[in-house]
Amino acid sequence: MKEFCMLWHSWEGEAQMFFDLVLRNSRRSRKENGLFFVSLLVSIVSFYIILSLAEQDVMVFLRKMESDAVDKLMALIPAFYGVTLFILFFLVYFASKYQLERRSHELGVYLMLGMRRTKLFLLLMAEDLWSSVLSLALGLPAAVLVSELISLITARLVGIGILGHQSVFSLEAVGLTIAGFLLIKCLAFVLLSGKIAGKEIGGLLAPAPDGAKRQLPAGIYFMALALGMLLLGMAYRLAICGISWTSMGKMGLTMLLGILGTFLLFYGLRVALGFLAGRQGKKKLRVFQFRQLQEQVIHQSVSLAVSSLLILAAMCFFGYGVAIAWGRSAGEVHTLDYTFSVWESENVPEILKKKGLSDSFKELFEMRVGHIHAGNQDVSVRMPRVMELLTEEEDSEEKEILLNNLGYVDYPYVISLSSYNRLLKAAGLEEIQLQSHQASVYMDEEFTNAVRAELMNRVLSQEPEIEMAGDVWHMTGKVQSRNLVVDSSITLSFALIVPDEDFQYLTGGEYDIYWDAVLAPELVEDQGLMQAIAAVNAELGETGLVYESYLQNMGRQLFYVVAASYLTLYLAFIFLIVANTVLGVQFLMQQQKTGKRYRTLIRLGSSYEMLCASARSQIRWYFGLPTLAAVVSSLFGVRALFRGMLPSSIRNETAGLLVIALAMIFLLCVIEWCYLKAVSRASSRYILTLMEPEREE
Amino acid sequence: MNQKILEIEALRKYYGKRESQTKALDGITFQVVSGEFLGIMGSSGSGKSTLLNCIATVIAPTEGHIVMRGTEITSLKGKELAEYRGRKVGYLFQNFELLDNLTGRENILIPLSLHGIPEKESRSRMGELAGYLEIEDVLDKFPAQMSGGQRQRVAAARALILNPEIILADEPTGALDSRNARTLMEKLSGLNREQDSTILMVTHDSNAASYCTRILFIQDGKIFHELRRRLPEETQQEFYERILHVMAQLGGGSANVL
Repeated sequence: MKEFCMLWHSWEGEAQMFFDLVLRNSRRSRKENGLFFVSLLVSIVSFYIILSLAEQDVMVFLRKMESDAVDKLMALIPAFYGVTLFILFFLVYFASKYQLERRSHELGVYLMLGMRRTKLFLLLMAEDLWSSVLSLALGLPAAVLVSELISLITARLVGIGILGHQSVFSLEAVGLTIAGFLLIKCLAFVLLSGKIAGKEIGGLLAPAPDGAKRQLPAGIYFMALALGMLLLGMAYRLAICGISWTSMGKMGLTMLLGILGTFLLFYGLRVALGFLAGRQGKKKLRVFQFRQLQEQVIHQSVSLAVSSLLILAAMCFFGYGVAIAWGRSAGEVHTLDYTFSVWESENVPEILKKKGLSDSFKELFEMRVGHIHAGNQDVSVRMPRVMELLTEEEDSEEKEILLNNLGYVDYPYVISLSSYNRLLKAAGLEEIQLQSHQASVYMDEEFTNAVRAELMNRVLSQEPEIEMAGDVWHMTGKVQSRNLVVDSSITLSFALIVPDEDFQYLTGGEYDIYWDAVLAPELVEDQGLMQAIAAVNAELGETGLVYESYLQNMGRQLFYVVAASYLTLYLAFIFLIVANTVLGVQFLMQQQKTGKRYRTLIRLGSSYEMLCASARSQIRWYFGLPTLAAVVSSLFGVRALFRGMLPSSIRNETAGLLVIALAMIFLLCVIEWCYLKAVSRASSRYILTLMEPEREE
Repeated sequence: MNQKILEIEALRKYYGKRESQTKALDGITFQVVSGEFLGIMGSSGSGKSTLLNCIATVIAPTEGHIVMRGTEITSLKGKELAEYRGRKVGYLFQNFELLDNLTGRENILIPLSLHGIPEKESRSRMGELAGYLEIEDVLDKFPAQMSGGQRQRVAAARALILNPEIILADEPTGALDSRNARTLMEKLSGLNREQDSTILMVTHDSNAASYCTRILFIQDGKIFHELRRRLPEETQQEFYERILHVMAQLGGGSANVL
């Protein structure tokens, strides 16, 4: 028993020492590599946010009416999560590698002092685990708080009201965040400790310097630089001319050219830096600065290129995502709140009255739309004069589009004048007047824009003759484009508004009726549009009427906005973190590896300020080069995304959106600058440690 | 008339707390005059490197004075200190301390860049040094592409480019083979003779020390003996033998002292 107690005490003492060492070492690692630690925290927050997306107020709300689309989005989340884990794995791997390399000498000493390799392994694992637990303990509460905030803010922004707010907290999301985070940490740890375990003690004590890099003739690098620029130029051209979007193959080619171009650019960059180093300048330590940079570019050209591409992706996603969200939420004017589709026998006002819902609506009217049945020709409408007048207009892309669209108009819809005027009245606009055999042109917003409308209006001002159902008609007035029904996805590219008698004649009495309704303003003021519609919907459910409300339409819009912006912003964020952490960690790693050079410079009379200024300048270049390449590419990239992937409803606002996207790219550059400052501070701290005289002997 | 360049007075450097104090330098006093080639010899741990590091301002002494041409350098700070390090003294290190990502020429010119001196001013000095030290062929090569001897001669050119008052050399032959060591020492002593360069060299290589004009032997942080080469009658070989004799006594410990 006594022996057992002694054994226990000795074990206890040993364990105590072991854990003290673990705590001390991991605290030191956090201090030395704060940048990496913060990146880990941020990645935990972003993991949680994406995983708890389904619990966000907006998503809960949308699920009620767009459950299919929301479910599809949610089905995508695991894939997104997987991709993020994959990318973050590399981040964790590189940063941990850096940390271990820094400690290589210390680990060698542990082994020299007789620590067994298994114990060293345990020590490192315990340290890693402790720092992971700490990251999670700090990161998870922050994550819950941030996603709660996002939920409240988005709910407010889209006007759902925060009364029905429910907590975003999701145990499943917490579980998956922890699992994912620990998974990548462990994987990185196992791979790295395997490397350490395989090294000889000598190798740990005095790490071999990076192998002397084999240099090819400068001409080859110059060629690479030139070729890289050429390929990038080709990719830019393909992208902005819209050729990339014509087929998957072309898109693949553009991406391939862009990626290859970026890699070659960074591969060849050493020539440019060598040239800069060779030039004379006034700045102190100029040669040293460029040689350091050149060496780093030689060693890290691949990861510089990857970082640049990641920053590019972040910029494109961020610019595109924000611009879309902006365009969507700012774009549309809406008048109608409800559209009822009815069978002939149904009388909507009657049914609503029976339910006591008449007071809920300010306006309720029929929208009559039909095809031309009168006259028995192959083509119901001919408008050669319109085409003639249009052709006489000044040449432009818009004119070509208009000519092309009108060329296909053979059987247009007709709309009854009285119902369209009710719509205008409801919107508070002036009604239009038409004589018999006069028609007004209707083109949905989606198919026109200010320039096209202006072109068409100039043609209409001539009151051109057209032939409809065998009779001569005249077009008049201005182009009309209010939405005829609630659902903005039902659109007419070209229709003619005609007086009611003519409408009866042309359609032969066979037409569709939609009952359009506008909610009573008191109702909307009291509860807000969303809640008012939701309340009326609840009552309408019992009438058996088939209807579409603005809420659904808005829900769809909202869904696009939320889905597009959430996912693009999320990816942008992750890419940015990874790229910057890789750049920052690599720079600091290189600086430590070349710490001896800084020491030599100090001995030769370099001051602390001089060294810090040189390091700052190196950092500016090191971050600036990939960022600059990314900014240039992103200008073309965002333009290309707008060209190919913009929803048709906001395609006409490209110029405005581009400004927003540019502002976002600028914002990301500001974030880059913050990172740059953080790395500069870390570097200055390191240089300060070198200034302390070293005790030799 | 020989002028005093460097005066060391009652220099002490103690490491550690009272109970476990190590006296690396224990009251050393000597002077270096212009044009002198002074050697400091002693066994490992005798304090010779600490002495050099104190003069080089790499470490601060506990007590005493180091005066360079009338300026007390232990109290120098910031800009003045950096100025002293680069312009008043030139260094030659055992392991060369060349920046391995800079070419030979760039390495030699680094002190100019550090002190904001235009390259033009030192162009002729650079050519002269490169010619004398026989490193013209390697000026555009990186250190990895040079031999050890070439590296040390490039380092010597770097130490000399700003025409410092004194050159501090810390075991300059320590990492060289005997042939390269001899070449380097011949060049250094040539510079000393022909250009009146003042050199203070720490070494434990008696061969290298035989090129000096005066040698101080240090033991346990104190000056233990001094040798002067009797010029011109004494040959290098004779001086070398005298050095060996003192070294043998040093190796035998204090019990055998004279």
